[in-house]
Amino acid sequence: MNMIVQPEKRANKLKSTRIAGKLVNDYWEMVWRAKEEGKLVCWYEGSAINPFLEAADIVWVHGEAYSAMLAARHQEGPAQQAAEERGYMKELCSYARTHLGCAVSNQRNRNDTDTGVSNAPDDNDLASKLPPPDMIISAYAYCSTGQQWDEMTSRLFGKKIPIFNVSIPWVWGSKPDAKYLQGREWNETSAYVERQLMDMVKFIEERTGKPYPWDRLRELMTNVKRASELRLEAMDMCTATPAPASFFDWVVSIAPINNLPAGPQIVDYFQTVRDEVAARVASGEGAVPKEKYRLFFDGIMNWNKVGWLAEKFARYDAAVVTGRYTHMAFWQEPGLIDPQNPVLGMAQNYLICPNNHAAPILIDLIMGLCEKYQVDGMVIHASRTCRAFTNPQFLIADAATKRLGIQTSMFEGDVTDESFYKDELLNSRVEAMLEAIDSRRMARA
Amino acid sequence: MKSYVMGIDFGSTTAKTVILDLKGKVVVSCVAHMGAVSGEGVKASTEGALKQAGLTQADIGRTVSTGYGRRMLDIADKNFTEITCHARGAVTMVPEARLVIDIGGQDSKVISVDANGLVAQFAMNDRCAAGTGKFLEVLARAMEIRLEDMGDVALAAKEKLKISSMCATFAETEVISLLAEGQTKPDVLGAVHAAIASRTIGLVGRVGKKGPVVMTGGVAKNPAAVHYIQEALGMPLILPGDPQTAGALGAALIALDDYRSEHKAELAAMEEDGIEAQMAEDKACVPGCRGNPTAAPKKGLLGALGF
Repeated sequence: MNMIVQPEKRANKLKSTRIAGKLVNDYWEMVWRAKEEGKLVCWYEGSAINPFLEAADIVWVHGEAYSAMLAARHQEGPAQQAAEERGYMKELCSYARTHLGCAVSNQRNRNDTDTGVSNAPDDNDLASKLPPPDMIISAYAYCSTGQQWDEMTSRLFGKKIPIFNVSIPWVWGSKPDAKYLQGREWNETSAYVERQLMDMVKFIEERTGKPYPWDRLRELMTNVKRASELRLEAMDMCTATPAPASFFDWVVSIAPINNLPAGPQIVDYFQTVRDEVAARVASGEGAVPKEKYRLFFDGIMNWNKVGWLAEKFARYDAAVVTGRYTHMAFWQEPGLIDPQNPVLGMAQNYLICPNNHAAPILIDLIMGLCEKYQVDGMVIHASRTCRAFTNPQFLIADAATKRLGIQTSMFEGDVTDESFYKDELLNSRVEAMLEAIDSRRMARA
Repeated sequence: MKSYVMGIDFGSTTAKTVILDLKGKVVVSCVAHMGAVSGEGVKASTEGALKQAGLTQADIGRTVSTGYGRRMLDIADKNFTEITCHARGAVTMVPEARLVIDIGGQDSKVISVDANGLVAQFAMNDRCAAGTGKFLEVLARAMEIRLEDMGDVALAAKEKLKISSMCATFAETEVISLLAEGQTKPDVLGAVHAAIASRTIGLVGRVGKKGPVVMTGGVAKNPAAVHYIQEALGMPLILPGDPQTAGALGAALIALDDYRSEHKAELAAMEEDGIEAQMAEDKACVPGCRGNPTAAPKKGLLGALGF
């Protein structure tokens, strides 16, 4: 029971995920070169509409992905500072604040150039390096900030950027026939979003001045579907004891499925990951050196803390085996995608953003994961500036306790603003939860 | 084998030490105030306890620490969180308790315990010192009143005022504004304690309201805090005799479990020796009988033989 953490225990991260780092770097290099190469650039947030853009040879900038990348590299400070100086308060979504800070920095440098002041951005100043948008597409499920974020971005660029809005309705799930991916509401909302995506394609055609290359989209979605299947297959193998990979391995694998170019390299990536996971299952190799506890992680990642948290849980002998953010998002229903006619399946995957379900469906899905992965406890990260994700967390905790009889523990942090994270708060809460799990095990023994 | 175990609650403003004998009886408990988390403060507490008991550290078989400074103590063999230790201590003090409200110097926590006294669920203050002893301390300073007098003065409140901020710094500003408006100290202090109660009820809601409720921690000694929490909760609070030492007691009990489990065989032998000695003293064929064999304890070797 004693919670003296043992520093020599290290997380046994998947080796194959290192490839993701290179893919991410290559992608952002491509983004930073976009204007030099005469490419159109689209800024968007939320839903993974990037295959639509990639097919049309438009460079795509996903706001959260850029903010997360800056935070993971601990380079989010200048962008957040620029946003704060512009008046965006600290309580605003830190993804948005960081990304808006990039827009502010971009415009600041541009204005300086216009006035003849030499203030060319340092090549290492990632806040200023983003190419400005030629268009903005707003396609956000269940985020109270998303559309305002896009609107503010447009204002920062002088309200000259064309915007297209895709409205993704909340899935109420309240009708008698409503179930996960079933019922009249589901069918109607799927068709509604599909129609808007078709309109979005017309908007893209207007911007490029070319007919939309549907064959290219089919090709890309074939890759996305296969990559997703391999990713889910690898995740499923983590029902094994010890779990061969952890939530944190899946966190670092988000970019390849969510926003990197959807070429064959993403299929290769997840094939390699899947094979490594399978090899670990065969040899009994775990994601933590001594798996004593299996945990569910609810909440978005603290992007400044990915490695830090992976090591912390390893020291506690805790394998974080599954989570809402990783296992209930990012093309998680590849079966819905028909590569030959992909738009409806894409719309449906956008609709099942893990925040976009009414609580009963959301909670059933989470409880299902907890049972499938046989977890002993649930760690809940309440992100200070993403209340969309935190809203149902007390209901989730309550269901975990009452339905499954498992311990839960909540800590406050944030997605990209490190100042909201307090290490001792997490330590005392996680340790208390693990001690409670131990007490119960001893009482049962 | 040693004859005592020790539990230390190394908190943010006070250090508490409890020493138990191997039967679980409290030999001594000691509370020392610290300016901040410091080795000196905790040393004063442990040395004070040892001195009162006429013991030295060498007489202690096992030491368990808890509290914010739990990892800083070299003399601790093990450390456990405040949740585990406070729950254990509070339920030992008040066995019927099913909900523990603990408000200490730097944090407040609500712990739901099951029928076996095990932690079922817990919630803690998430941000800064919202609703804790530190909050009261800051406001006592702002109002130029001694911390220990705050509760009694607050109970004299006549008007219901409202402090909306739980951030100690902003609440201080609100308090100063209210005083500047001419509000009385008792009324303002009533609002301060009501704000703490409101925060505590939020935590209770997170783990589920149930009773009986025991309140521990230094703030349990403040009558206004108790009054306002009871009022907001709609349930009476049970106050143990020494609410500040619940965490240290819990730590000492865990130390005792650990030590006894490690020395099971020696303790059983000692128990038999004790029974033999008692029999000789009682001049009885069944230990403890004193002329009434049915009252004899069925323990140890004799119990196993059916006596």
